[in-house]
Amino acid sequence: MNSKKLSIILAIVAMFFISPFKANASGNDEGGVNVKEIMFHHLGDGYGWEVPFSHTYRIPLPVIVRAEDGKWICFSSSRLTRIEEETDPKTGKVVEEAVPQIVTIEKDGKSYRFLLAGVSSHSNKVVQIFPVETESEKNELRAAADNDSTEGKFGIDKVVDGYVLYDGVYYKEYRPFDFSITKNVLALFIASLIVTLMVMSVVRWYTKNGYKAPRKGTGFMEMLIGFIYTGVIKSTLHDKANKYAPFLLTCFFFILVMNLVGLIVIFPGGANLTGNIAVTLVLAVMVFVVVNVKATKHYWKEIFWPDVPLFLKFPIPIMQFIEIFGIFTKPAALCVRLFANMMGGHMIVITLTLLIFIFTAFGAAATGGSVVISIIFSIFMLALDVLVSFIQAYVFTLLSTLFISMAQEDGHHESKHEKVIHESLPDEDEAIRKDGTAEAPV
Amino acid sequence: MELFTPELGLVFWMFIAFIILFFVLAKWGWPVIIKNMDKRADTIDKGVEYAREAKAQLDSARADAQKFLDDARKQQADILRDAAKMKSQIIEEAKKEASEEAKKVMDAAKVSIEQSRKEAELQFRDEVSKFSLEIAEKMVRNQLKSDKAQTELVDKLLDEIEKN
Repeated sequence: MNSKKLSIILAIVAMFFISPFKANASGNDEGGVNVKEIMFHHLGDGYGWEVPFSHTYRIPLPVIVRAEDGKWICFSSSRLTRIEEETDPKTGKVVEEAVPQIVTIEKDGKSYRFLLAGVSSHSNKVVQIFPVETESEKNELRAAADNDSTEGKFGIDKVVDGYVLYDGVYYKEYRPFDFSITKNVLALFIASLIVTLMVMSVVRWYTKNGYKAPRKGTGFMEMLIGFIYTGVIKSTLHDKANKYAPFLLTCFFFILVMNLVGLIVIFPGGANLTGNIAVTLVLAVMVFVVVNVKATKHYWKEIFWPDVPLFLKFPIPIMQFIEIFGIFTKPAALCVRLFANMMGGHMIVITLTLLIFIFTAFGAAATGGSVVISIIFSIFMLALDVLVSFIQAYVFTLLSTLFISMAQEDGHHESKHEKVIHESLPDEDEAIRKDGTAEAPV
Repeated sequence: MELFTPELGLVFWMFIAFIILFFVLAKWGWPVIIKNMDKRADTIDKGVEYAREAKAQLDSARADAQKFLDDARKQQADILRDAAKMKSQIIEEAKKEASEEAKKVMDAAKVSIEQSRKEAELQFRDEVSKFSLEIAEKMVRNQLKSDKAQTELVDKLLDEIEKN
């Protein structure tokens, strides 16, 4: 059973990466693989969601942008690209490829033109474009191109700040406010839905069966909830546990599901959610708000007038500076730790798989060897990532709980809490150091 | 780097998604689960407590029963001992009575035997004296058939008288 599942994963991983290689090779005469582009394509966001095993066809998603004049414009992401059939000169095979195209939207008598930027400083984002027509505008473009010190000849593939190149013509670009339902946004909604269903399955069990213990999936879910609630929240926050439990449990399960969904390669998964800094940033900001808004007087007193010798805090506020810095570094560490761990895991798997295509240049033997080694290591890394997914969700929740409990001290039983803080901080530093070493191979 | 700059749109949607998820779960999810988990834990605790109490009660009941049993056994032993004692006493008394009775009967028997012996003796003496007189009479008559014998006897008797 297990080996069967493994072979399916293996096949999926292998197949998923074959198509981008082909697509890339057909457009690229050198036949090499653009490792960086493929990697960032997989780690990044997108306006459509790829149908399994195809890089050409995408599930269309709504693009919602605010044009330069303040109008909100919404259109389907399928209009951003068209499918073109190209004949591979070497093999004679017809290859389909998605090519960006200009989208023209008529609204209130005005026409707006949008483009999925290629050669631009906003690569892979939707930009509003304006043609460069008048002489003065052309002069501006020339000046901008001369100012830019990026290598490459003007007119060919050179990124000019504020301009986008499409079909050999430069257009003035405007990056609109972009609230599109992208792949990552849809994945967020799917993850939220999964979390809701998981939690509600337990709630449904309780309303149906009273105090009977649930079995199987619901039982596992309940075990996880109990593990976090009693093991982390209750044991740290004691009588305040019920006040913060909903927030912390939501954090844990949301992160866990996002992590795991990110590891699934095809449709409902495949979006690198927690490996995206925007997602972890929001989570960290939430923790920051919860910690500081509900903080006690004692907590603020410890920050602005800590129990240290006077010379450390009076003429030059050294301690105050450190403490205030600490308020921000704690959630920042949460944000970066989760982001780096998850992105690192994805990156390693992608790199290992891309090794196969890099090694094709060295002949059949090297390719065969690298296939075996890459797949073994990829599977190992994916298995490790499942573990890391859980650990990172756990660590995030654990540290958030500790930060909240530190901000909830009332100074009466100081010694006890002081101990908790001192115990927790070295652990955190160690975790950060570990993160650093884990990233090293990347 | 695209990866390290947070995208405004994604931040916005993440915020919305998290807030909605949080409020939905905080209202209908977590409190119900936590309440029920606590309730079940309480139920289990109560069950254990109940079982412990029941066991204690059972133990005490068992001890009571044992005590009753012991008492009964002791009583039984006492009764048996008393009974044995009584038995031996009764036997003793019976023996004593019997021996007394026997002695009485014997004494009575002895007396009657003595009496009858004396009577018999008396009778026997009478009989013997009668027989001896008859025998003597017959012998004397026999001996004194001849005259000579008679004379001789007279002589002898006379001699004797003379001697006295």
